Amino acid sequence: MFKMMFRVLALMILAGSAFATPTFVFTAIPDQDETQLKQRFQKVADYLQQELQTEVRFIPVKSYAATITAFRNNQVQLAWFGGLSGVKARELVPGSRAVAQGVEDPEFKSYFIAHQSTGLSAADRLPQSIDGLTFTFGSKGSTSGRLMPEYHLREQFGQSPDELFKRVGFSGNHSRTIALVESGAYQLGALNYKVWDAAVEAGKVDTAKVKVIWETPTYPDYQWTLRGDLDAAYGEGFTDRVEQALLKMNDPELLSSFPRQGFIPASNSDFEPVRKVAKQIGLLD
Amino acid sequence: MSFTEAMLSSLSRWSGGVKTSIGFVLVAICCLFVADLEISSIDPWAEMWRLADGLFHPSLMQSSLVLEALLSTLAFAFAGVALAVVGGFLLALMFHNAFVRGFCALVRSIHELFWALIFLQFFGLHPLTGLLAIAIPYSGIFARMYAEMLAQVPMLPARTLPSGTGYLNTLLYTRLPLAWPHLVSYTSYRLECGIRSSAILGFVGLPTLGYYLESSFSQGYYSEVAALLMLFYLLIATKKIWLRRWTLPALFLGSPFFLGDGMPIVWGNAWRFISEDIIPAPLRNSEAGGQWESLSKLSQWTSDIMFNQALPGIWNTLVLSQIALVVTGLCALIMFPLISRYCYSLPGRMPGYVLLVIARSTPEYLLAYILLQLLGPSMLPAVIALAIHNGALIGYLSGRHSNELVLRSDLPKRRLDRYFYELLPRIYPSFLSFMLYRWEVIMRETAILGILGIHTLGFFVDSAIQEIRFDVALVLILTAALLNIAVDMFSRRIQRYI
Amino acid sequence: MSSLAIQDAYLTYGNHRVLGPVTLDVRAGEHLILLGKSGCGKSTLLNHLYTENRQDCALIPQDLGLVENLSVYHNVYMGRLQRYSALRNCLNFIYPAVARIAEVTPLLEQLGLDEKCFSAVAELSGGQQQRVAVARALYQAAPVLLADEPVSALDGPEADRVMALLGQYFATAVISLHDVDRALRYGQRIIAIQNGELVLDESAHRLTVSSLNEFY
Repeated sequence: MFKMMFRVLALMILAGSAFATPTFVFTAIPDQDETQLKQRFQKVADYLQQELQTEVRFIPVKSYAATITAFRNNQVQLAWFGGLSGVKARELVPGSRAVAQGVEDPEFKSYFIAHQSTGLSAADRLPQSIDGLTFTFGSKGSTSGRLMPEYHLREQFGQSPDELFKRVGFSGNHSRTIALVESGAYQLGALNYKVWDAAVEAGKVDTAKVKVIWETPTYPDYQWTLRGDLDAAYGEGFTDRVEQALLKMNDPELLSSFPRQGFIPASNSDFEPVRKVAKQIGLLD
Repeated sequence: MSFTEAMLSSLSRWSGGVKTSIGFVLVAICCLFVADLEISSIDPWAEMWRLADGLFHPSLMQSSLVLEALLSTLAFAFAGVALAVVGGFLLALMFHNAFVRGFCALVRSIHELFWALIFLQFFGLHPLTGLLAIAIPYSGIFARMYAEMLAQVPMLPARTLPSGTGYLNTLLYTRLPLAWPHLVSYTSYRLECGIRSSAILGFVGLPTLGYYLESSFSQGYYSEVAALLMLFYLLIATKKIWLRRWTLPALFLGSPFFLGDGMPIVWGNAWRFISEDIIPAPLRNSEAGGQWESLSKLSQWTSDIMFNQALPGIWNTLVLSQIALVVTGLCALIMFPLISRYCYSLPGRMPGYVLLVIARSTPEYLLAYILLQLLGPSMLPAVIALAIHNGALIGYLSGRHSNELVLRSDLPKRRLDRYFYELLPRIYPSFLSFMLYRWEVIMRETAILGILGIHTLGFFVDSAIQEIRFDVALVLILTAALLNIAVDMFSRRIQRYI
Repeated sequence: MSSLAIQDAYLTYGNHRVLGPVTLDVRAGEHLILLGKSGCGKSTLLNHLYTENRQDCALIPQDLGLVENLSVYHNVYMGRLQRYSALRNCLNFIYPAVARIAEVTPLLEQLGLDEKCFSAVAELSGGQQQRVAVARALYQAAPVLLADEPVSALDGPEADRVMALLGQYFATAVISLHDVDRALRYGQRIIAIQNGELVLDESAHRLTVSSLNEFY
């Protein structure tokens, strides 16, 4: 009885203390190395705090959907989204805007990789012989690990992945896609080209066993998205200040968190292609 | 007499328990024909080698974070179980009411992870999400078990009380103390389950051990995985040492302070979830168009979910869990002698204890993923993972039961004789009832094995949530819940038959 | 004036008819002893009397009905649960009230249990447990006692002391016994049961040990 009351009280205090200070909170999709997510983005939080003169906090989340939900629920006001997650989030939060993207992001691409036992090699198109193999995507909500690869598979073969392949899996993230294809658990996989390049560079991939067989045409991907109601909560001009702070971020150490060369302005219409593709595939109503 | 006749006549002589077991085995064998159990991996050894190397070189990168995670794992487990004990007890008192029974069956048939995913929409990353994700299903479980235990106490003490004693007084002075030892031992067992659940909630983003475990595992940082797992095993294995009567108040009172603060709750979100998100899409967007149009859209929407997701999901879930159940039983029967005092002396039992703690504390999800590397994607990794995890648990319970037996002192010399003639016949009935209880749990656990490319109900639920389609997710979660309730009712009917 | 009465009743135990038809009047102020072989229906009769007249009776069942993991004090206190509010009982459960302890202690002293007041009943011997059940009935102080073999686990002098106490605390009592000698000493009226019927109903002073032995 007393224990119960105590606990409820404690919870209320905890909840109350969080209400007391209007902290500016942001998050990022957990697209790579989640163990480092907090360290990586803490530096960005410190930078933003200094630039915006208000308390800034980074919250790590576990899935693309959780990122979207946190943004939609106004528990975070700024998020580093992928193409698809950004489109979904903006659809759910009227007034929210894509404000900045990485220099590389307008021309992002996915790699299709194959285990060496398939005998496939790099080509201009996906070969017809992938019919009947096993295939893994990354996360279900990923642009480069799910949406665009699925789109191109449908484009080239006129079939859904389930019909085309013997088995279709979702590894959960890009690094695991590499591991699963390298071990031959799946014969094929599709992933974010930057994660692949970084893994190859770090010597984490045995390129004798797994290699890139096709790269997709480019598409717009990651971006910073801001909620539309910030000025009311954080003061006039806050949205502009956040936008400026993001765009002028040039410290290589900060940029390596993403990793991007730098940031350039973005707008919602830049991601129209992604939205169309998502609608076509049925990932968006 | 022909062979078939001999078989048939012996069939009628077998006990209900044996017939039931044979029935389950036959169903599982039928399932084998339709199940996808192919081994398709090509060369798993490089990754396996990395894994083994990591497991033998455990290292903790950020010990302060891990300590925090350890504390919050315990905190969520204790606070969640404490709430569930209170809630479950109150519900147990009303368990004669059919509505309450139905409510409890419903809440406990939904997996903790699904509850967490639902509450993530409500509260976001707030301690309440994890707290309720444990407390709600556990309340349903406690309610049923507590009600059974309270119903099984001797009636006589309550009968001797003076007339007019009243319900509360009777409860406090007779039924409760009489059931107390059973209540305590069950609650303590559940607390261990709570720690496991709490750790696993990290997979969806709560700051418990599972968070770091999943992160490290998905990046292939196997040394960290090893260190985290070892910490977790240690925590479970030493439960008897730190979980004492005198530590309980401190643990329960302290737990709310280690839940972390998370993000403020925005109540509008909870309202939106109820009033918008879970309303079927065709009804939500139907300002224009007539009633008939939206109705036909709704039926289209429903049949889409039914035929493309729910039915295949139910089928795969059933096939997978029936096979897994029987393999679990075999595993348990093989493993329980390892910790039985009638099979091995105390030092000889130690490796068995360690093995069982490891096998039952390792989340199925990790086991399944490792096996996926080894065997390739099919139902096989899931079956083996479920069997190892649940088999160890039932093996542990059966072994503990066998240690409570008092057997004659001139036992057969050979272990195998002792096993088949003394132990197995005695523990088999309780083994069977553990299995029947576990049936529903195994079915619920197939939920989180969607990563293997097996399209169980859980796979479709996860997809719907990743696509932010909570209306679909809710329909599928309820489908899974109904399936579990059906299995639960069926298993209880079998239990009565035995 | 009759205190408890049964008119042409058939009594069953499970699905078996054990006794009947039975007609019995227990008059206020008399101590009635039931005699008969084990299984003849004494307990069934007592149970029936208890069920019909729970308001006025304290019961000492053969199996005692103690809550073994509670203390002697709490078990005895249960005799008066109906007199206090649920809250009072709740507090007393956690922290026994001094006034109630003062009430219970003299009873325990008379039964030789005073040192065991806060021991768990499970730790006591069979005879001690039986005396706890007696103490509970004494504490309840109901007008009528129904006791089923209340001294079966006690040795001679102890059994006599307990019988004397019961006689002293309860004006009216129905007690089953298997000791004929003791039945004659403490009972005013003896009833014997055989083959499902009440075969004897006599004042104790008209009976002798030998005349009763045929019922065993």
